[in-house]
Amino acid sequence: MTDFRAAASAAAERIAACEAKGTHAFLAWSGEAMLEQARGLEAARADGPLAGAVVAVKDVIADRWFPTTCGSRILEGYRSPFEASAVRRLREAGALVAGKTNCDEFAMGSSTEYSAYGPTLNPVDPARVPGGSSGGSAAAVASGAVDMALGTETGGSVRQPAAFCGIVGIKPTYGRVSRYGLVAFGSSLDQIGSFGKDVASAARLLAAISGRDDRDSTTLDRVPLSEPGPAPTSLAGTVIGVPREYLPEGLHPGVRAACDRALKKLKELGAEIRDVSLPHTKYAIPTYYIVAPAEASSNLARYDGVRYGLREDGGLADVRAMYRKTRGAGFGTEVRRRIILGTYVLSAGYYEAYYGRAQRARERIRSDYAKVFAGGVHALFTPTAPTPAFRLGENLADPLQMYLSDIFVCTANLAGVPSLSLPIARDQGLPLGGQLIGAMEGESTIIRIAQALEAALEPTAEVR
Amino acid sequence: MSVTRAEIQRIAALAELHVDDATAARLEAELSRILDYVAQLQELPDGGDGDGDPRAGRLRRDEVAPDRLEAPPTDFAPALKQGLFLVPRLGELDRGEDESP
Repeated sequence: MTDFRAAASAAAERIAACEAKGTHAFLAWSGEAMLEQARGLEAARADGPLAGAVVAVKDVIADRWFPTTCGSRILEGYRSPFEASAVRRLREAGALVAGKTNCDEFAMGSSTEYSAYGPTLNPVDPARVPGGSSGGSAAAVASGAVDMALGTETGGSVRQPAAFCGIVGIKPTYGRVSRYGLVAFGSSLDQIGSFGKDVASAARLLAAISGRDDRDSTTLDRVPLSEPGPAPTSLAGTVIGVPREYLPEGLHPGVRAACDRALKKLKELGAEIRDVSLPHTKYAIPTYYIVAPAEASSNLARYDGVRYGLREDGGLADVRAMYRKTRGAGFGTEVRRRIILGTYVLSAGYYEAYYGRAQRARERIRSDYAKVFAGGVHALFTPTAPTPAFRLGENLADPLQMYLSDIFVCTANLAGVPSLSLPIARDQGLPLGGQLIGAMEGESTIIRIAQALEAALEPTAEVR
Repeated sequence: MSVTRAEIQRIAALAELHVDDATAARLEAELSRILDYVAQLQELPDGGDGDGDPRAGRLRRDEVAPDRLEAPPTDFAPALKQGLFLVPRLGELDRGEDESP
């Protein structure tokens, strides 16, 4: 029988120690709430697949125990009247929810510096960002404060912070996990993903939250994913594609060396390494930064000072003046930038030139993947991010430079395919991630390959 | 592709977002740079996969208007006068509460 109360108490001490260092992984957490959950699980004699595991939840996912602020002033103190299906499934699997983790406001960002409540620091090097937007979840796992965490992805927001913090992050196939209770950003891209210290723990968490949900009509009508098996010792018969567009001339030398080393290990494990091309990759960032802001500008229209959170009326007689004042004061820099960009690309006269073209480019990116996988490739291997974690403040003055840090991750969101990042090496102490991308519904394949690679690699070895 | 300050303010009005002059000036420069970058989509050759994609959808005009109702107010309002809902006077409600035990 799991000792839930002991698990809760030990986690509370670890979280307190993590936050005392100034990591700021959490926006809300409570040792008392964990103990109360532990008593409930004990009384129910819970013995699910996550019994006693302590899990943190990104603050864009609704939960009744803690506020749901999305890292925004506009939702400061907001308490959801219901919990997300993914959180409900965590609890049904016997997990203890520790609290809500910091993130870029409404998940828009790549460094967690756009949280209205201050940045999260990278536990490996506190002068650097943990990545984003799920940086708080990644830092909570990397620091050892929790066993696992839920993050969300619209354009790489689980895999990139996993790479920056030296842990594992999985983005499932679009529709694999219910979005019910996930605050919407880009609805055609958003997916809840999982973080763990190793491949097996991230995969166990994903399995527990996966599966059809009647409350989200976009979920796939499939049984939940299986628990991961033992790490395979051979990858004989597995074909791994290396898209040449992901290893360009001028790539960061540490990142290149780490990828070369990982590919050598995959070959030693018996995998066939095949050079492939995803020719529309160069359109990924332009496409993503049209589609995602367009959807965001529509999804965020609901924050008007009437239905949720902040209201700035200040005696304004006109209701529309109140909307504008509230939204202008409640949203931060990056959210306002994306609402303006999204509204612009959807507006009359520009729609076809931007949004229409981006939709076509998205279809070609999806088709690139489909052709490669139809050609007998089981998974693709690429770097997760073009650099190791950058310094706090380094990219804040240049939004375009910040966007480019998602260059290797956002195509999987545009295509809907599953993908994961695992640590493959360190460069001058900083973790580097390798990315495995699967065909639609190919989570089990990339998890199996990642387990084999993880067992064969020393992921904290210096690469140069 | 450069965006003018006036366009920023027009878009901000469509998005129901107050943008002060300093922010508009910054957005003018940032958006112009981002739009220059995304303009490479114009190089995408025609006639490939995804052209004629039905998901491109139909367009509506950029107009801010009240949500259309499934049924007119006359179908569900207990009483209307000159197009306005008739509701109990607040004073009458207060009096009713005073009379309750």
